[in-house]
Amino acid sequence: MVVFSLALFSYFLVTAGVIYDVIVEPPGVGSTVDERGVSRPVAFMPYRVNGQYILEGLASSFLFTIGGLGFIILYRTHNTGGTYKSHSSLGFYLMTSVGFICVLVSVLTTHIFMKMKLPGYYLHP
Amino acid sequence: MAGAGSGNKNKGSASSSSSSSSSSSGSGTSANNKYLGSLSLITFAVLLIAWLTGFLSRLFSVIRFESIIHEFDPWFNYRATAFMVEHDFYKFLNWFDDRAWYPLGRIVGGTVYPGLMITSGSIHYILSLLNIPVHIRDICVFLAPVFSGLTAIATYFLTKEIWSPGAGLFAAGFIAIVPGYISRSVAGSYDNEGIAIFALQLTYYFWVRSVKSGSIFWASATALSYFYMVSAWGGYVFIINLIPLHVFVLLLMGRFSHRIYTAYTTFFVLGLILSMQIPFVGFQPVRTSEHMASAGVFALLNAVAFLKYLQRFLTKSEFRNFFILASAAAAGIVFVTVVGLTYAGFIAPWSGRFYSLWDTGYAKIHIPIIASVSEHQPTTWFSLFFDLHILVTTFPVGIWYCIKNINDERVFIVLYALFAAYFAGVMVRLILTLTPVVCVLSAIAFSSLFELYLKDDENPQNDQAGKNEHLYDEAGKVRKMPHEQSKDENSIGGNLRIIVLIAVLFILLLFAVHCTWVTSNAYSSPSVVLATYDQSGRQILDDFREAYFWLWQNTDDNARIMSWWDYGYQIAGMGNRTTLVDNNTWNNSHIALVGKAMSSTEPKAYEIMTSLDVDYVLVIFGGLIGYSGDDINKFLWMVRIAEGEHPQDIRESDYFTAKGEYRVDEEASQTMLNCLMYKLSYYRFGDVRIGGYTGFDRTRNAVIGNKNIDLTYLEEAYTSEHWLVRIYRVKKPWEFNRPRIPRSSRKIKTKANVTKKTSKKRKDAQNGVQRSNNLLLYTYKVLRMVAAVKAPQV
Repeated sequence: MVVFSLALFSYFLVTAGVIYDVIVEPPGVGSTVDERGVSRPVAFMPYRVNGQYILEGLASSFLFTIGGLGFIILYRTHNTGGTYKSHSSLGFYLMTSVGFICVLVSVLTTHIFMKMKLPGYYLHP
Repeated sequence: MAGAGSGNKNKGSASSSSSSSSSSSGSGTSANNKYLGSLSLITFAVLLIAWLTGFLSRLFSVIRFESIIHEFDPWFNYRATAFMVEHDFYKFLNWFDDRAWYPLGRIVGGTVYPGLMITSGSIHYILSLLNIPVHIRDICVFLAPVFSGLTAIATYFLTKEIWSPGAGLFAAGFIAIVPGYISRSVAGSYDNEGIAIFALQLTYYFWVRSVKSGSIFWASATALSYFYMVSAWGGYVFIINLIPLHVFVLLLMGRFSHRIYTAYTTFFVLGLILSMQIPFVGFQPVRTSEHMASAGVFALLNAVAFLKYLQRFLTKSEFRNFFILASAAAAGIVFVTVVGLTYAGFIAPWSGRFYSLWDTGYAKIHIPIIASVSEHQPTTWFSLFFDLHILVTTFPVGIWYCIKNINDERVFIVLYALFAAYFAGVMVRLILTLTPVVCVLSAIAFSSLFELYLKDDENPQNDQAGKNEHLYDEAGKVRKMPHEQSKDENSIGGNLRIIVLIAVLFILLLFAVHCTWVTSNAYSSPSVVLATYDQSGRQILDDFREAYFWLWQNTDDNARIMSWWDYGYQIAGMGNRTTLVDNNTWNNSHIALVGKAMSSTEPKAYEIMTSLDVDYVLVIFGGLIGYSGDDINKFLWMVRIAEGEHPQDIRESDYFTAKGEYRVDEEASQTMLNCLMYKLSYYRFGDVRIGGYTGFDRTRNAVIGNKNIDLTYLEEAYTSEHWLVRIYRVKKPWEFNRPRIPRSSRKIKTKANVTKKTSKKRKDAQNGVQRSNNLLLYTYKVLRMVAAVKAPQV
């Protein structure tokens, strides 16, 4: 379990693009000037596949990890010799839905991120 | 969207088969026989569908454009293959290409991984033996898609060895359509990676097989497959470090066995000898640091085996002391030997490309030529997600399963996963090596999940069969025990389970749609032919081929073309002309010279160009149509590379504005506005009116700073339809240093003209050698004189 936590943590860092952050040193959050001349923060660097801000990387990587944990919870609920099941059916329900929600949230939110990054996603002729 | 449809179908059948295969394994051997027929049929069908899906979804570019070789490197591979097919293999091995790297030339046979050419060449040969006439170009175009199917099958076998057949089918389905792999293997992308990933997966399959069985047969198969990999791609270094690492970690975990000893020693010795047969690799396996880990582990493994042997004769306490002493000594000796040999110069230290993997900032500071390549940039989260989509999240789940049920071969896949993930973070390009393991591990995750959630419905029948479960390490079986004991309590979960299943299927569907979308929109452009979309439909920009065709038809056969190295292979492949530098970036100083010429002022550049015998200069300019991959955007790299070699002449800071920005408008520095690249890109561009401005650069959204560009030493020779490619002719020395005299003030002395001619004739008779040297000059002068004589008469 220790090995896995270490692996998961390093994986979290890799998918967050930390190496990119170290080499390129982008700002944490970008900013843009809107039509009224007010500077507004922008979390995502749009249209650029190989560019990112530090925060967007961490956010998406967090979601990836959440999704992964969701899968593991889904598995464990059914398969730990009844750790949750034997207590109550409520606990079983609860854990399954927690895992399930984790997976769904992760998938749907990353999808939204994707659309923020590439506005034309899924809309091409 | 045919690819999407079949992709979903594929996922569906993969999931059902995983469930059926697990149920059969649960119910013992008799049931296994009962299901054998349908199981093999399902396996066969799924693999076939995976192959077809993978093949078909890679054909977008052929359908949209044509059967054409893509991008840059494939053009060289194609040219080399065509050469090999036209001549023979030995001619190809000894080929000295004098049309590249003028005036140095390139020894092609010794600087190329020949696996790719041999593969397509032998396919061509076999087909022609069967009297099937296929042009070699079509074989090159379709090679990578066909091999992707083989990769899917190899992945199936690898996953089957590591986990279960059901997971294998999942993995085959994933790898067939995952964008991370498609990005390198669409039709027309005729590059080493296309076949190398197949070789990689096959080598790993054989390796896992040989670790499991400890047989020399499988170990030799590993070595042979490794040989194919070495012949195909430089990424073989990954294998020759990963397998020793696996052995090393197994030793550390106390999992030494004679199976591992047999497998590794056989593989190492055979693999070493075989890999040295490739001319490009040569003696590197015994001389470079990249390969030393394998030799060190070989020594260590033998030392451990020897100790195990001694263990029989010693008592426990004696042995413990002895073991500590001996292993410390062995490790020390290996380390000191390697360091000593490196120091003495027998072993080359890590090459820059590999060094930059560990010290990530290294390339940026020391080797701009490596850092300048876009595929060597560090990876962002988006690239990972774009290339792997949902598999990014399920990948750690697979690691979790493997760590939880660890055995010898799962140690391997976990190590592979960790290292590949790290490397993929350092370089975008190495997502390619991460992709297969992501597919394997995600397949394990999905397969186990489906196994659990589909299993519950058939519990009552399986109940008695649970006794057979402690067979040899089939992972699926061990886990079933607790699950089956407790199923009575969670029968309420039936609906929930179905919801979860449907959601997971929905996620898989999303994955398939994403893959097809990415393939169709991001990875299927040949980049030789560009397409833009507007309301009136699709517009094809065929400027590259137009310009290369012009070069081919209108320039001398021996004309030398100077361009930035990106276009070297294309000029050689499509224009058939001599280039100075190309994508095989082996000579940094030569590239730096070209970079220096591009970033100097015109007179200084002219000196360099005459010393390199340049006849034409080719630049890519995207300002008119808004193409962002043009030379002005790459220009800073030219400056940086030139600065690396000529720091006294070129300084990067000179090309920035006072604020440190890189601009092309009026605020740009004088050095920038007067360098050759700027002039060649924007020559006559000040006269073009776009959207109310003259000289408006659509790529950089700026009005250019220097609208009146005069060229003294060069003249425009050709500009393609959308100004994408601009070709300039370098004038000969006598063409520009002659002041032009207006026609009215020209004085012609007919008599003097005649005497001059005769005197020249006499001189020619005396010195024939000089005449041939000056022939061109002479004819030119005579022509000028004739023209000058004729002019006043008319």
